[in-house]
Amino acid sequence: MIAYTIRRLLTVIAILAVMSVAIFSITQVLPGDVAQMIVGQFATDDQVKAVRGRLHLDDPAHVQYLRWAGGFLQGDFGKSMMMDRPLGPLIGEAMARSAVLAGISIVLVAVIGIWLGVYAGVRRGTRADRFISVGSYFFISVPEFFWAILAVMLFTGYLGWFPSTGYASLDEGFWTWARHIVLPVATLVSGLVAHVSRLTRSSMIETMQAQYITAARAKGLPENIVIRRHALRNALVPTITVLAIDVGLLMGGIVVVETVFAYPGLGRLLIFAIEQKDLPMIQAGILVVTAVYALANLAADLLYAFFNPRIRYGSSAAH
Amino acid sequence: MSTEVPVLKVESLTLEYPAGGGWLRALDNVSFEIGKGRALGLVGESGSGKSTTALAVLGLLASEARIPGGRILFGGRSLLDLAAEERRLLRGERISMVFQDPFTSLNPAIQVGRQIAEPLVLHRALSDGDAAIEARRLLEEVGIPRPEDVARAYPHQLSGGMKQRALIATALACSPELLVLDEPTTALDVTIEAQILDLLERLRRDRGLSMLYITHNLGVVARICDDVCVLYAGRVVESGPTSDVLYAPKHPYTKGLLASLPRVAERQLRLAPIPGRFPDLASPPSGCIFHPRCHFVVERCKGEPPVLSGIGHAVSCWRAEELADTPWPAPEAQARGARSAAHPDAAPLVEMKDLAKQYEMGGVFDNLRFDRSGGFPLRFDPPRVRAVDGVTLDIAPGEVLGLVGESGCGKSTLGRMLVRLIEPSDGEVRILGEDFGRLSGKALHEHRRIAQIIFQNPDSSLNPRKTVGEIVARPLTLFGLARGNELDAKVAALLDLVRLPSSYASRYPHQLSGGEKQRVGIARALATEPRFIVCDEAVSALDVSVQAYVLNVLAELRDRLNVAYLFISHDLSVIAHIADRVAVMYRGAIVEEGPAAEVLKPPFHPYTEALLSAIPEVGRSPGSSAGRGRIRLRGDVVEKDGLIGGCRFQHRCPRKIGKLCETEAPPWRIASPAHRIACHIPLEDLRRADAVRLPQEA
Repeated sequence: MIAYTIRRLLTVIAILAVMSVAIFSITQVLPGDVAQMIVGQFATDDQVKAVRGRLHLDDPAHVQYLRWAGGFLQGDFGKSMMMDRPLGPLIGEAMARSAVLAGISIVLVAVIGIWLGVYAGVRRGTRADRFISVGSYFFISVPEFFWAILAVMLFTGYLGWFPSTGYASLDEGFWTWARHIVLPVATLVSGLVAHVSRLTRSSMIETMQAQYITAARAKGLPENIVIRRHALRNALVPTITVLAIDVGLLMGGIVVVETVFAYPGLGRLLIFAIEQKDLPMIQAGILVVTAVYALANLAADLLYAFFNPRIRYGSSAAH
Repeated sequence: MSTEVPVLKVESLTLEYPAGGGWLRALDNVSFEIGKGRALGLVGESGSGKSTTALAVLGLLASEARIPGGRILFGGRSLLDLAAEERRLLRGERISMVFQDPFTSLNPAIQVGRQIAEPLVLHRALSDGDAAIEARRLLEEVGIPRPEDVARAYPHQLSGGMKQRALIATALACSPELLVLDEPTTALDVTIEAQILDLLERLRRDRGLSMLYITHNLGVVARICDDVCVLYAGRVVESGPTSDVLYAPKHPYTKGLLASLPRVAERQLRLAPIPGRFPDLASPPSGCIFHPRCHFVVERCKGEPPVLSGIGHAVSCWRAEELADTPWPAPEAQARGARSAAHPDAAPLVEMKDLAKQYEMGGVFDNLRFDRSGGFPLRFDPPRVRAVDGVTLDIAPGEVLGLVGESGCGKSTLGRMLVRLIEPSDGEVRILGEDFGRLSGKALHEHRRIAQIIFQNPDSSLNPRKTVGEIVARPLTLFGLARGNELDAKVAALLDLVRLPSSYASRYPHQLSGGEKQRVGIARALATEPRFIVCDEAVSALDVSVQAYVLNVLAELRDRLNVAYLFISHDLSVIAHIADRVAVMYRGAIVEEGPAAEVLKPPFHPYTEALLSAIPEVGRSPGSSAGRGRIRLRGDVVEKDGLIGGCRFQHRCPRKIGKLCETEAPPWRIASPAHRIACHIPLEDLRRADAVRLPQEA
């Protein structure tokens, strides 16, 4: 297991290295002069020169890359061009707020999605199963910004239960904090729960037909133990992989949701950076997102190994 | 038969499944009983209802099944009248079951020991610790060396034979009175099967277990069962003591089944298959359900269903008495002795020289190793598996070369290299003198026409979205052999060649039975008029009566078209039946090769000898073999792939002579000009292989 973890970690590092090159080369492959593009076409030559100097655009490409990547390794994320502030704390704060949204969402997605999927899968063909299936199709097929807008109209405009936008820190009290994140989280979770529950359902149905389930019943085990001990563990293996993919979807969703609810997280910061053509911030932001995604997949791989002894112990025979 | 209450008594059991608005009768009036300590074989082909019977006894039927009539008495208690909860508590405690496929019957995510302990914790209320100790004791009882290690292992770390032993241990955990076994050895190699059968025999003796043994294999029944009950389409057609039923069968179906069996001892004869196909249970034929396929059918059979009658040996046939001494008729085309064997001097059609295939294991990151010896410190050094390791063989035009070996020995890889579905890593294949491995482009395409392949599983080797006609026509158009009207005529001719009516061209594979599908596969392979066909376990997935039919078709085609086959099988009886020459493969290499008649007689390679000894065949009843002593191979030996030296069979060889076998590769012993054996034991000693005598037919 330790060797496996180390191997996976090496893979993650390799991916990040490759991605950093790709992200860095944005400055190299953008058409025209990057500095000119950033400052706009009406800028003076001096302004362009100043930007070139700040971004060290006159150095050879590999020197620029090494300086940029080296900075990251030392915790120096560079400086925002528009706000003229170090990017580290800026991105850190935004990420912490996004992480709250993402963390709560992914936990809810996992718990509700798996529970619904198992419930429906075990009761295949019953009314409960059909209800869950139809419901999840509905939630999968409607995009999340639609729910976001609908929720704002209903709960904020009509009922007035939740604030429509903004963010409150925990210092302002738990309820204030909670009221600000209910709608964003609900929006994020709706589609993904449907996704996870559908997959868990089909995986559960398949597992329940496996020979070892019949064999477990032949031992005289009651049905709830057959499901809990024998079916669940095996049925969850594909779900874990999908949860990791959903972390990627979630980050896409966060960008949308943070924009709609004016929630000051990483997604909104990235949109801001893109609008303002703040190149260092774009690069740093994307690299952070990439790292989060790679680490989520690492976590999924490790969980996968935990559930699947074939990975944990290789295939050598016991002797 | 004593007066004591039988352990299991099934009385007139009828069982139905919903099908297309009506009910499909899967079991009809099935009755049998099993006394204490006795083993009953429930025999039949796929679809006969034998597994359904087992599930009915266990109470594990699908919820939509209904039982309109009959009783199942377990020790006098009527199981069908019990509440579901009471039946559950009997399962695993007093009635246990072992399933067909050990590879899928163990939960892959739970340690083996815990799975064995489960029923003990449940029914005996043992603590986890006590149950674990008992689990290890059970593993020991079923003959597993080092039970502590196996108990801690996960299923994927065990071989098939060990898994099946572990499953038997699970079934025995609570000392049940009745053990239901559903094809417990079908998925295993024949040497492993022999060990499992030995184990079951011993357990029955030691524990006084009663067994319901479900199988399609009459040889296994002969080996292990006291009584036998033959099922056909959900009806009992014949039942009685094994020796009576198998050696003096009364029902035409039983006679037909026995006539369909290929036997090592009778390799000259063509098999006598049962014509027709399995009835559709949704609309069964009137009268006797077997009458559409029966040779002896008379008017009465079509109208009135016969009843099972007779004391002891019972049969359900109107004409059983008058046909008592009439065997199932042999097919008209007899004895292929008339056909001249392949000309030994003719230039070989296929030549393999030092043919080898190695696979690298694992991914890039798994195989990076630190290397301190200097230079770049990381090395990419994947372990290699030698699937095929230097095979040199020839096949003459029109010759059938049988290739036999256990699963994983590399026989399929070898077959696939001959048609270049797999690229060899070393050595060469010549077909008609041309180096097949070097060809490319047009020349390769042209050569593919000459060499074709038939796959094991007809269900997955035919495209389900194409009609039979399209499937067979595909190679014709691909090689530009026919077009337009000519194409239809050719397809019809090919179907006729494998004895399928031309109307089948418009059917889809799922509308065909297994045997019919395989015949379509054969027709497809024949379409290009090949000189050579690789038959990769081509009949292994088929029921015996169908298998006999397909074997006959293959033999006939060989005689008519002079096609050569590489006939790959794990089943030595089938190989013995069809092959002119036999090559025995073990762990990637040929260990014995020669004319079939010589390979099946001493001198044997020790491995061939063990294979022959392991075959459960009708005619080799437990009694007749009692004094002979069977050869048993150790199946649980783990052999590291990195072959250091010596004979590859050394770890399992019952005749190993010493250090020599571990250090030096065995030399070829030339038993006759065409017969060679790779062994250190001198020929004179190999000849004294009195342990195996070919079975004399009763």
